[in-house]
Parts: sequence; C-alpha cells; structure tokens
Amino acid sequence: MDRRKIDVVLSTFLIIVSVIIFTNDGLVEGGAESDLGSMFLPRLVAGLIIIFAATISIQSFRKLAKGTQPEGQEIITTNGFSGVFIYIGIFIAYWFTVPHVGFLVATPFIMIAVALLLGGRNWVPIIATSVITPVLIYYGSKEFLRVYLPTWTL
Amino acid sequence: MFDNIISGFTSILAVGPILGIIAGVVIGITFGAIPGISAIMAIAIILPMTFYVDPIIGITMLLAVYKAGIYGGSISAILINTPGAAASFLTAQDGHALTKAGKAGKALDMSLFASVSGEMLATLVLILVAAPFSLISLQAGPIEKVFLLLFAFTVIGSMAGESIPRGLLSCCLGMLFAMVGMSSITGAARFTFGYTELMGGFTFTPMLIGILVMPEVFNVIRKRKIPHQEMMITHSPNPADNRISFKEFRSVFSTILKSSGIGTFIGALPGLGSSTAAFIAYGEAKRTSKKPKEYGKGSVEGIAAAESANNAVCGSSMIPMLTLSIPGDDVAALLMGAFLIHGLTPGPMIFFEHTETIYAIFAGFLITDLFLLGIARSGFKFFVKMASLRRYYIFPCVTVFAFTGAFTAGQNMDDILVLIAFTVMGYGMRLVGLNPAVFIIGFILTPFLEQNLDQAMSIVGTDYHLFFASPFSWVFIALSVFFVFSSMRMKQKSASAPLQGKAA
Repeated sequence: MDRRKIDVVLSTFLIIVSVIIFTNDGLVEGGAESDLGSMFLPRLVAGLIIIFAATISIQSFRKLAKGTQPEGQEIITTNGFSGVFIYIGIFIAYWFTVPHVGFLVATPFIMIAVALLLGGRNWVPIIATSVITPVLIYYGSKEFLRVYLPTWTL
Repeated sequence: MFDNIISGFTSILAVGPILGIIAGVVIGITFGAIPGISAIMAIAIILPMTFYVDPIIGITMLLAVYKAGIYGGSISAILINTPGAAASFLTAQDGHALTKAGKAGKALDMSLFASVSGEMLATLVLILVAAPFSLISLQAGPIEKVFLLLFAFTVIGSMAGESIPRGLLSCCLGMLFAMVGMSSITGAARFTFGYTELMGGFTFTPMLIGILVMPEVFNVIRKRKIPHQEMMITHSPNPADNRISFKEFRSVFSTILKSSGIGTFIGALPGLGSSTAAFIAYGEAKRTSKKPKEYGKGSVEGIAAAESANNAVCGSSMIPMLTLSIPGDDVAALLMGAFLIHGLTPGPMIFFEHTETIYAIFAGFLITDLFLLGIARSGFKFFVKMASLRRYYIFPCVTVFAFTGAFTAGQNMDDILVLIAFTVMGYGMRLVGLNPAVFIIGFILTPFLEQNLDQAMSIVGTDYHLFFASPFSWVFIALSVFFVFSSMRMKQKSASAPLQGKAA
C-alpha cells in the first residue's frame, strides 16, 4: 500500500477538523471567563495541525504527481492484516460480552480464541491456561486490589 | 542531602518495597526477554496493579520492571538474535555471534555486568544532580515554564519523529486529545459533544495501554506464521568461555565507564533515547578500541559499550522529568503518568513536597541494581525457559492483562472502549509514520502548558512584550531553533547516506 496516498487523505481530514475547531464556537460549553479563554489553546494547536498536515500532504502529493515509485517507509506492507482485524473483532466481542456473562465466563473463551489465532493447537495446556489465568486475576484483583471485575448479570 | 539519602534507604529497606523490587525485577527480566514484549509494555501492564499500594512500593516496582526489562531485552538479542528494542540491535550483533561460537554465558554475563554498571553510574548522577538542579528550576515562573514546555514539545517532536512535521503533528494530536473534557481553568466542557462520559477526558491508563502496548500485540499477530524460535544457552567445554573473568571485566571497565557517561548525558537530553546512546557509545568504543575489527563479530567490548550506554539512559532520563516535568522518552512519559496517578507531581517541587518518598525511590533505584545482578545471575536458565514460552500462551494473557488494566483504572466498561479505540489509533499512527510516544508526551504536558500559559497571561496582561523580557525566554527560543535545525541536518544526512551507499 502506498503511504503517500494515505498521507494526502489523512492530512485533508485533519485540516478539515482543524478548520472546524477554528470556526465553530459550539465545541465549548459553559465555563468561566479567563485571560486565555477556553478555546485559545485548542485553536492554536489546530493552527499548528493545519501547518504540519499541509506540509506532509504537499510533500506526498508532489511525489505522487511526479509518478515516483514509493520506497522505504512509504510502502505499507499489508501481510497478516486479516489476523489484526480478527483480533480487533475478538476484543470487541470481549467488551460486549463481559458485562452480560461476567469476566470469569467470557475470558477463557477469549483466551482460547486468541491462542487459536496465534496458531495454538495444544488443547490441554491452552484450556488449562485459559481457565486458571482469569480465576487468578479475578480473585487477585478482588482480594489484593479491591477491584471487582464484572460478574454474570443475565 | 545525605540525611535524605539515608532516610530514603531506611524507608526502602522494609518488607513491602523489597518484595516490590524483587517482583519488579523478575517480571521485568521475564517480559523483557520475551520477543515482542518490550519494557514499556511490561510497565504499562503492571501499572494498574500498583495503584493500590504505597507510592514507594508502586513506583520502585515499576522502576524495577523498567530497569530489568531493558536488561531482559538483551537475553533474546543474544540467544536468538531478536532484539526486543532498537537499542539492543548492537548487542544482538555481537552477542549472537558469541552464542553461535558456544560462548552464550560469556555474552550474557558481560551484558548483565555492563547493564548494572551503567545503571548504577546513571543513578548516582541522578541522585547527585536532580536535587541541586531542581533548585535552579524553582526560579522559573509561569512565563519561563511556558517557553520551557514549548522547547520540550519542539525538541521531542522534532527529534523523535520519523520526520519533523510528523513528529510535531504527533505532539499536536496528543495536545488536542488532552483538551477533551472539562477545562481545569475555566470549567468549560470542550469537545464533549454532549456526552457526559467525556467530561473527565480520556482515562490515561487505557489510552496509554492502547497507544503504546496493544499495537505490539498486533505486530506479533501479523507475524504469527513465522516459526517459533526456541531459546537455548549454548555451552562451551572450556569453562572460561561460559563466564566473564575479573580480568576480562577489568579490561573493558574503561569502555563501560565511558559508555555509561555517554548514555547518562544522552538520556538527560529529551527526545534522544537509548538507541542513540547505544549507537554513539558503540561507535566511540569501536573508534578507540585496540581490536575494532572484532566489533559486530562477537566483541565482548562491543556488548559492554552498547549495554552500559543503553541502560545508563534509564536513570538519567528521569533527570528532566523530575526537575523540569519533561519526560525525555516514552518510558519516562509512562512513568510520569504513574507518578501523577500516585499523587506525586514530577517537577522541582517534588523534592520539597515529597522528600522522603523521592529519596526512597532513589534508594530503590540503587537497590534494584543489586537485586537485578543477583536475580539475573542466579536465574538465567529460568528466565530463558520463561521467555521461550510459545506466543499462543503469552499473548492471550497479555490481552487479558490489558483488559483488566484498562478496567481497573476507573472500574468502568467505557474504558475498554477507550482502550480499543486508542489501540486502533496507535497502530494506525505507526503505519503512517506518526510517533505514539510523542503523542503521549503531548497529552501529558498540555495541562501544564495551559495552566502556566493562563498564569503568564494574567501576569503580562496586554503588555505582550513582557513574554520576551526574561533571558530564559530567549534561551529556550534559541535552543528550540537550534534543535530543530540540528534535527533537520541529522535527518538530511541520514537520508543521503543510503543514497551514497547505493551510488558506491
């Protein structure tokens, strides 16, 4: 994947967001008067973002316009990306299920799913680790840290 | 000062802090030695577990994880030629050559002794320099602090990024995210879009784990089809090849001292980090060595130079953080977050407001080195075995620790969403050449900038020229310009070097 194209798109997006920060007064609500004002620093930073994003975008756009081949860090290799998307999916499922089925029930399934994704096929140690680890974390958090991880609510 | 140091040792020599240090060293070496897990990842995962203990125990434990994690990185570098961090690249070159020659014990010993020596020297410099330097920085008022912070942003952004605009853009994005939520000065709600959950801003721990730790897990997942490499300590029939003799250590001691000095100096400058220190020290050691041709092919002196400089950065990177509130690198930024969570605000006042705690932490720094030496020396085989665990046992546990760590911070499921969002963002930033560590530094320092800028505006009123009345302002402006130009020159040089290489 050609990073220079992403540079142009991302920089354009950041410039649009920065222009909105510059012009929209509705992004701040309430607050007391101060010498600085609530939006002074955000607008200053937005201005700097416009400058730096434009610099990156112009540099990348020039190279694209010249038709030069991407080299070095300008090439994004996409090998193995499918695994990353699956992992994100597993994590979202984890976030979604824990409040309903609880930490102790959801975690072993998630650990087994991640182990499978990483190529694990030694079932007995994987299942043992996936059951023992959450139990240790759950009771360790409860007894030593006084942190109560979510429990079954269904 | 010496009274404070003795008082610090008294506080640290108790059961709790010592157990914390031992646990930190064991966790640090184990995590550091596992390919794909860096010291910063280990600290971020352990951080939430320290919230509920005394700051002396919690902070010293984190520092022990840091120091031991940096050393642990050299184990995988030496045994399987997989440097955990860029700074261990040179150690891997010489160390792995020794491993292939059956002298892994010698390489591991040298790496350990050089690491501990470098760390101890830097810690002594930290203890002796930080408090007196804080007295000078106490003289700075809000105007000077504004320029100091702008200097820090400029230096870190320009030195640490892939290119200057990308580094500075990373910093600006961190600053922008720091301004989400209720303004600490005016009480106004900024960028909350009506969501009350955003009033408190983004929770630091899930954001930190997401930006700095989880993208490393993504990298491991992407490389999941690469076969697992088993670590093994090679043994030579000649016992002298399996250890470092006192004579050998003495012969490289001057190199260790010089490299530790280089590492200490570079670590104290914001934005440069341990890789720069290791490369400069290695180059200098090679230049002045009697056997320069051995470098890169199994030189014990080369390991000593790289490891002592690399580890000296640990102690000295705390100098700008503790005296000026400026974290010099990603680990210092993370540790600054840990200090803040524990109710200690890094900066010159810390030496007056939390004297006992800070000197106890310093004493813990020194004691950690001794424990690192003892534990690593006696447990090489154990750590190698632990680090050889297959990734499908390690990374499911990392996933659960990241989840628990993010939840523990606020005991709120919304923080898991923050973790997921910043994980994707942190990985995306890496792909497009933005620097997540600079992002975090921008995030941490922005509240200080806004507070000091507001105070400075109250002082100058409409006489804006007063901003430039102090010589400090001009010094920091000049330093910022100097660093940006020198960074531009460095980047131009490094860009033209491969081209020259190709032409040749």
